[in-house]
Amino acid sequence: MSSPLSRAGDIRTTKEASAELFAALAVAEDDGDRSRLRDDLVRLHLPLVEHCARRFQNRGEPLDDLVQVGTIGLIKAVDRFDAERGVEFSTYATPTIVGEIKRYFRDKGWAIRVPRRLQELRMSIGAATSELSQQLGRAPTPREIAGRLGITVEEVMEGVESANAYSTLSLDAGDNSDDGVSTMLDSLGEDDEALEHVEIRESIKPLLEALPPREKRILLLRFFRGMTQSQIAAEIGVSQMHVSRLLSRTLESLREGLEAG
Amino acid sequence: MTDQPDVQLRLPAENAYVSVLRMTTAGLAARLDFTLDDIEDLRMAVGEACALVLDGAAPEGKLSVGFDLDEGSMRVTVAADSADEATPDTETFAWQVLTALGNDLEAGTVEGQKSVSFSVSTSVVASS
Repeated sequence: MSSPLSRAGDIRTTKEASAELFAALAVAEDDGDRSRLRDDLVRLHLPLVEHCARRFQNRGEPLDDLVQVGTIGLIKAVDRFDAERGVEFSTYATPTIVGEIKRYFRDKGWAIRVPRRLQELRMSIGAATSELSQQLGRAPTPREIAGRLGITVEEVMEGVESANAYSTLSLDAGDNSDDGVSTMLDSLGEDDEALEHVEIRESIKPLLEALPPREKRILLLRFFRGMTQSQIAAEIGVSQMHVSRLLSRTLESLREGLEAG
Repeated sequence: MTDQPDVQLRLPAENAYVSVLRMTTAGLAARLDFTLDDIEDLRMAVGEACALVLDGAAPEGKLSVGFDLDEGSMRVTVAADSADEATPDTETFAWQVLTALGNDLEAGTVEGQKSVSFSVSTSVVASS
């Protein structure tokens, strides 16, 4: 936790060391010296990279990866820095490092990101759905939503579909992302193949008991009281989409549990 | 509008095509004025039905799906070429879920095909 940069004494030494190294680099004659000084400079400022990377923690990317791309930014900064300009190196390097990390998130997110048009569509459908649900006392039909938003039924379905794609992908991303991409669909058939050999009722009891209270409640409301997802959403105080997601996830985990048992 | 044409669909009997089927089903349900909740349930039901018939499906086989459309309701029949000639297992988790989502469930084997059918209807009251 205690980064060297957070202590005033160390900052001064880092600054001094940095200035010395850059001064040496400016007059270095042969390539061996230059490359050694460059390495030293990068190593010296690594805590700065770590500090920047920490700001982006908890966004679904491992800190190590962030430090790694941040270090690329640092190397670029070392190569481009001009000591003559009278700016501290850390001041100069920070935007480059942060920029590199941000770019990483942008590139990384690109493949799974739903186009902006669909994101907005999804949001307006969500808003219209909750409004209409209140007015009608039940979930609205796509036609009703289309009428409210002044778009076609197809566009509504497209928006709903994109919401599903979004949740599927995020479920995937949450889990073991490095041993191949497998969607929920991929696991459906295989899971059931194994289920043949399971004493279903007996093995599902402990699994149901082990569910978190909320998930258990949603399952109960849905399949024993026959409530719709919207009704459950209202009862529990989350969105219908969230209920849908929780339900899929719970069913999937029960399935997995059964398979393991 | 009472005499709607039925819809038939033939797909490879592979898990990868279940999503295509779910999307198609959702599109049909939207046409019949199912609510978003109904559609969500229906998507799940179709997935479970496929899980039942694709279990032990013949490789390179076909998945055939029939939709009997009516006003505000539809009957879905999912069938796949079966390698093991067994009827769909009604002791499975998938079947349990399906009973909660659809009505008038039927499971059987017809001409070497495992088949599951169920009915669903919109929760919009007809008079409204």
